[in-house]
Amino acid sequence: MKLLVRERMDNISKLIFRTTGLLVILILGGIFIMLLWNTIAFFIKVKPFDFITSTQWNPSSITATYGILPLLVSTTLVTIGAMLIAIPLGIGTAAFLSDYAGKRLKNILKPVIEMLAAVPSVAIGFLGIVVLGPGIAQLTGQSNGLNALNGAILLSIMSLPTIITVTEDALHGVPDTYREASYGVGASKWQTLLKVTIPAAAPGILAAVMLGVGRAIGETMTVLMATGNASAFPKDFFHSVRTITATIAIEMGEVPYQTTHYYALFAIAAVLFLITLVVNLVGEHYVNKYRKYQAA
Amino acid sequence: MKGSDTEVNLAVSLAENFYKIQDDFSIAITGGGSGLGIASLLNREADIANSSRPLNADEDSMLKARGIKIRTVVFAEDATAFVVQKKFAIDSIDVETLTKILSGQIKTWKNITGLDIPVNIYGRQSNSGTHSFVSKKLNVSFSREAKEMNGNAQILEGVRMDVSGIGYVGAGYILQGGGGQDIKVLKIAEMPGGTAVSPLDEKAILERRYYFQRPLYQFIAASSWNKVAAFIAFEKSLAGQKIIKASGYYIIPEN
Repeated sequence: MKLLVRERMDNISKLIFRTTGLLVILILGGIFIMLLWNTIAFFIKVKPFDFITSTQWNPSSITATYGILPLLVSTTLVTIGAMLIAIPLGIGTAAFLSDYAGKRLKNILKPVIEMLAAVPSVAIGFLGIVVLGPGIAQLTGQSNGLNALNGAILLSIMSLPTIITVTEDALHGVPDTYREASYGVGASKWQTLLKVTIPAAAPGILAAVMLGVGRAIGETMTVLMATGNASAFPKDFFHSVRTITATIAIEMGEVPYQTTHYYALFAIAAVLFLITLVVNLVGEHYVNKYRKYQAA
Repeated sequence: MKGSDTEVNLAVSLAENFYKIQDDFSIAITGGGSGLGIASLLNREADIANSSRPLNADEDSMLKARGIKIRTVVFAEDATAFVVQKKFAIDSIDVETLTKILSGQIKTWKNITGLDIPVNIYGRQSNSGTHSFVSKKLNVSFSREAKEMNGNAQILEGVRMDVSGIGYVGAGYILQGGGGQDIKVLKIAEMPGGTAVSPLDEKAILERRYYFQRPLYQFIAASSWNKVAAFIAFEKSLAGQKIIKASGYYIIPEN
């Protein structure tokens, strides 16, 4: 009798967990199909060639143009800028945490860094408007600081926790025997870090960078507030930009259902989805590779 | 009640005061833009759509197609103010010059204020009623260099910091003290050399002499009329009108 009850419990819990697991896949599949469906509807009305090559995103004019290029360039500009700042800073901090910092300092620093991830993006965007923007304007002698650089700096702050945490794990995972061997042949701590530990942890660091990129590309509120959202084709870091995410956020609220413009927003969302998917897959790939290497 | 961000604060303070005299009444108010409000009306997700613009042809035909009858109430008059920094060299501007600035034809302030710096436009996003109001009123599409900000506060924040900035916000927002000390409201002249009118001049607004003024609408689904009639009556009452005026809007008596 008791056995029967236990078996039944097991079967029921198995069923529950299987259902939740399948539900997640189902939801993802549903979102994907909806994106794909609307994107196809868009490409029936607008030639894919025009979508890729047109240099203007201007859906509300009489001769509507749907060029993803300015949006893509904006997103790329902001993301690359963010990574130029966040990668050296993140790897440096992670190296300090894993190889230099004492245990006590580390116990304080790690939660503080993780807390950075908990700051709402609206708050960071607001900082971009009232503090960072005027600061950039003053430093560069421009009349205002709502530009790609502003967004890049804010996004670098937002992706730092991801990069630091994953990199620190990777560095920490390098077996101590590596370091000991390096010290044994007379290398200094700095030489060991640069020539032994970091190269050994490279796949993990790459994964960290990819996850950071994924974080930066998908961020909406911060860039929406801090980059000015001008729809002109971006020229440089001091130019106001309008990213893919900001465009969707601005226009989705107003667009009439089932018009070309509506489908167009799904098409750019699909592009964003593909980019993030690839970035995350690459990241995951290296995480797994690095895990295997760890086990050996 | 959903819709215009311009109207949402006003609607909330009206509702709060209405509760005081009638506590069995419940209303949920959200913003999101006039377009969103009307879309919600179309999808039967709202009883009242606040809108700072009339229905466009698309919306009108969709309402008809879905068999939704509406009643329209004009409950206040709003004016859009053009703002610059306090130190800005001029006090008034004519509509023609303004049109050229906003459409991007004039790229620097050189011929207007003498300063050879590029014009920076701070505007609202395309889902804002103020955005479409200014663009329709002047019959231009905005310069592609125009920045699209998230709300009145952000526009003022931008202009406050920027010697070359010009932005537009609801005059009500400035009347309530949202402008602060560093902001100047430009007077608008319809013709070059004509009399310039400030949006803060109540008499001019009542005589409809300010160029950028507009009625604020509430579109109400006819099927919900009985539900909301008491609230609409409150808006038209003396107490309601006092709140509307205190919120920085104007009331033009119906005749």
